[in-house]
Order: sequence, then C-alpha cells, then structure tokens
Amino acid sequence: MKSTEGRHPAVTQASPSPATAGTSTDGTQGPPRRRAGAARWGAYAILFAIAAFSIMPFSWVILASLDSDATIFVRLPEEWTVQNFVTVFRSAGGVQLITNSLIYAGGATVVLVIATTLAGYALSRYEFPGRRGFMLGLLMVRVVPPTATIVPLYVIATDLGLLNTYHGLILILASLEVPLGVWIMKGFFDTVPIEIEEAAWMDGATRLQAAFRIVLPLAGPGVGAAALIGFMGAWNQFLVPLVLISDQSRIPISIGLFRAWVAYTNVDWGLLAALSVVYIIPALVFYIVARRVLQQSLAGGLAGT
Amino acid sequence: MKHVRGWRDALAVLGFLSPALLLVGAFTLWPAVWAVVQSFTNRALTGIGAQDPSFVGLANYQRLLSDGDFFGSIGRTALFTIASAVIGQTLLGLAVAYLMAERPGWKLRMTPLFAAVFLLPLAVPETVAALAWASMANGTEAGLLNRALDLAGLGPVNWLQDHAMATVIVVNTWRGLSFAMVLFAAAFESVPTSVLEASMVDGATPWQQVRRVTLPMLRRQILIFLLLTVITTVGIFGLVYFLTRGGPGSATQLIGIYIYEVAFRFFEIGYGSAVAVILLIILTAFGLYYVRLMREET
Repeated sequence: MKSTEGRHPAVTQASPSPATAGTSTDGTQGPPRRRAGAARWGAYAILFAIAAFSIMPFSWVILASLDSDATIFVRLPEEWTVQNFVTVFRSAGGVQLITNSLIYAGGATVVLVIATTLAGYALSRYEFPGRRGFMLGLLMVRVVPPTATIVPLYVIATDLGLLNTYHGLILILASLEVPLGVWIMKGFFDTVPIEIEEAAWMDGATRLQAAFRIVLPLAGPGVGAAALIGFMGAWNQFLVPLVLISDQSRIPISIGLFRAWVAYTNVDWGLLAALSVVYIIPALVFYIVARRVLQQSLAGGLAGT
Repeated sequence: MKHVRGWRDALAVLGFLSPALLLVGAFTLWPAVWAVVQSFTNRALTGIGAQDPSFVGLANYQRLLSDGDFFGSIGRTALFTIASAVIGQTLLGLAVAYLMAERPGWKLRMTPLFAAVFLLPLAVPETVAALAWASMANGTEAGLLNRALDLAGLGPVNWLQDHAMATVIVVNTWRGLSFAMVLFAAAFESVPTSVLEASMVDGATPWQQVRRVTLPMLRRQILIFLLLTVITTVGIFGLVYFLTRGGPGSATQLIGIYIYEVAFRFFEIGYGSAVAVILLIILTAFGLYYVRLMREET
C-alpha cells in the first residue's frame, strides 16, 4: 500500500487520464483521498483484465476468418482475405445453413409474439380464478431446460411427424421461450393505463378493436422484447435441432458448425471461422440494438416486476 | 382489470391463453409427464424395445442405483455448478459489480463501455463460444493459453485432455460472469444514496457498509439470480458437449450429456427417461424455491 501511494503521483503524471482528474492535484489532499486514488487504479486494472479476458477467445474467430491459410491457432494472417466469407455465401451448403437458421428463428419469433401477446393481454386485463397460479406455473415451466425433456420430446416429435420438419422445430423452439415471453408481455400491458382502453370502448370500439388499435401499439416495446428473446433463443439453440433434425438439408448453423468441427479431419478452419462470424452477427446486432430493453426485462424477470 | 363474468368472458380468456398453453403443454408439460411414463418401460430405438416396449416396473430405477456413471455425472454436475455458477459467476460477479457500481465517494468512468464488452461472451451463440475456446485452450504450444503460460516460463498444458473439468468451469464462468456483473452493478446502484450516506455518518467502514447495509437490502435479488443461474447450469448441454463431448473418458460427462448419450448413442429411451426424471426432480426442487421467492411479487 505504501509503495503504491508513493508511486501514485508519478503514475498520474505519466499518463494524465481524465479518470484521475479528481485525485491528481497531489500535495493538497490527505491520505484517505490518495488511498481512494490507488484503489481506483486497482479497480481499473481489474476491469481491463476482465475486458481482455472477455474478448480474447474471439481473437481466433475473427483472425482465422480473414486468413487465407487458417489453422486452429491464433495468428496474424500472412495473407488477408475475404475469400472465406465469399465461400460461405457462394457455396450451396453455406447458403442452406443460413436460410434454415433464418427460417427457424424467424418462424419461432412470429409464433412466440402471437402466443405471448394474446396471453399477456388476457393476464393483464382480466381477473379470473387461477390467474396467479398460471403466472407462477409458467415460472415453474421456465426452470425446465430442454436437457430434461429432450428424450420424450424426441419420441413425441416422432409420433407427431415433426422430425426433420421446419414447422415442428419452429413450434418447439417457440415453446421454450413462452414462459419468459408471457411475463414480459404481461408486464408491458400492465404499463398501459386501462383508462385509455375504456375511452375507446366509450367511442364504440369493441374490446378486440381497442386491444389491437390502442393497446398493442402502446405495448410495442414489449412486442420488441418478446421478439428479441424469441429470435435469440431459436437462433442459438443447439440441443433441440441436434436431436430433432438429422436431414443435412434442414440443419441450422449451430449444427452445421458442430458437424464440421467433429469431422476434425480436413477441417477448413477459415471457412468454419467465417461461418461463425456470420452466425454471430445477427445475435450481436440484436444485442446492441436492444441491450437496454433486454437488460431491463431480464432484470424485471429477476425482480418479478 | 376486468373480472370474468359469464361464459363469453371465460371463452375470451381461454382463447387468449390457448396458444401459449398449447405450446407449453405439448412441448414441456407433456414431455415431462411422458418422461415419467417411459421411465417404467424398456423402450429403445433399436431391437426388441423399439418394436414392442413393455412395462418393466422399477427396473430402470433399480439400475440407476447401481450405475456408477449416473452417480458420477451427478457428482460432476454438482462440482461444475458450485464452481462455475455459485463461486465463479455469482460471488465473483458480486465482487466486480461492487467495483463498477457508483456510490457516494466512488465513481469509475467508462463503466457502460466495460459492461458492453463484458456482455460479449453471453451475446454470442454457445457453439461459437465453445469453438473460440477450443482454439484458446488448444493443448499444443501454439494454443493461446499456453503461449501466455510460456511467457511466464510455464506450460504447455494439455487443457482439454488433462484438466478438462477445470477448463469447462473456467469457460462457463467466462460466459456468465458478465451478466452477473452487469445485473448486480445495477442492483448496487439501486440502493438509495441517502441510506449509504447515513451509514457513513454513523462511522461505518466500507466493509461494514457492504455487509450490514448493501447486501441485506439486495438479498432477495441475489438469491433469485443465484437460483436461476444454478438451474441453468445444472441443465447445461451445448457449451460443454461442443467442447469435450463429455470426455476425455467421462471427465466432463455432466448429467445433461449423460442423458443424451444414454438415449441417443445407446438408444435406451426408457433408461434415459429415468435419468431425465431424476434431473426433473432436482430442477423442480430449485424451481419451487424460485417460485416461492417470486410469489411475493404477483
């Protein structure tokens, strides 16, 4: 501690960062302030270390995707190229994987938004016996991951003829996000005052008209949040398509990556990395656009509001 | 809020709820029930159990009791969950969140930027996260972790061969730590400034302030996060399976991976269902506690 205090002014002079503006007026301050300054440097060091740790594993994905002769190891490409990306989008297999993932994620999003909007509205606007039990029951369903249900799910999907079908996987992927989605939608509908709706009824709108024309637009952010978790959940899912989709022409990107990875011999690392980058992009864009909404709704899921 | 009166209202509510009910019913509730039913049969995907599965009573459960692989997978899941979800994500997350959160006399810059970077591991699909770590933890000298060790004059370590469990624990901590930090930082900042200042006036040290004021106020939120992350971690599959496929040997065979292997590599649907039922019971126990905590809110 003592040596850090002694070094501190020199450090701040060497690198006049705005972060130290409050503490760099050395000489005029008592020891407590200086100790806070040292603690602050320590805190920044820790945060930078974690930030580096967070990013570091992705260095391979990015660099290898731009490398004309990529390996499994991180290295700066001797020859930079976008050829890997061109191959992903030119090859029939690559296009098929991306299309499939878009179909599954897009379909699941639509199904989820419809189901959760309807349920969220009813739970927010009607009082009926078992309403609270229904909400809590959904939380119980939420804690059951596909890992625990995948074996019977496979049998049921076989019996219903849903194996290797687009609509089968779409419905199942949507179902996984229903509990959280309903909670989110109900929360957003709760924020729309009932008076607005009642005014519309006075003007002669039916209950459904009022719900669709007045309430739904006001609950728009909720629809966005539900769509977001629906898309992300379906886009990222691995176990369910691994078990339910074996037809090579129907597999999504996650399974395509896995099959290429376990083949291990003759893996085209550059292509694998480029496909990973393509796979990351929608997730990342969604995350950046909606990080606020998502954080709030997930925090809401924690607090239960 | 409108009270449901008469069959028209009742029908409307039922209509509104039915798509969500159907989805959850068909693809989560029904499979859960079906898992129990099948766990009493010798159903398989090949052989006689495929054509004509028959009722075998408690045979599958008796077999579980003497199945070392099953108990092994339970033990590994417990270790994995305690190390990566409880210690790695929750405790470490709390500590770092405390650094990030603003409070009287403490404000760091660029915390939103840090938060955005921290969330990257969670934003990418688990398959890509696993692939990135496969490169990072490669056992040869050219792997990134080993190059870092080499700078310190150590290594190379064959991470996924000799220390597979430790490696997947680190990977899962890496993936979930960020989320805990960002959520807890927001929670810390929700503690009213006036309360903290009052405790400072009363002469509380920073440590006393955290222990006696901040943490007790956030007890419920922390508990709920802990439960959710434990539940998620117990049911994990993709991240670990992609990296190790449960190996080497069965070193990282968590319960989710064991279920998958039994059912889809050895085609024993009945026995796999019995293992799944045990997992369902464990998760239901956590789930009931979670619901009890959330109950105060509705």
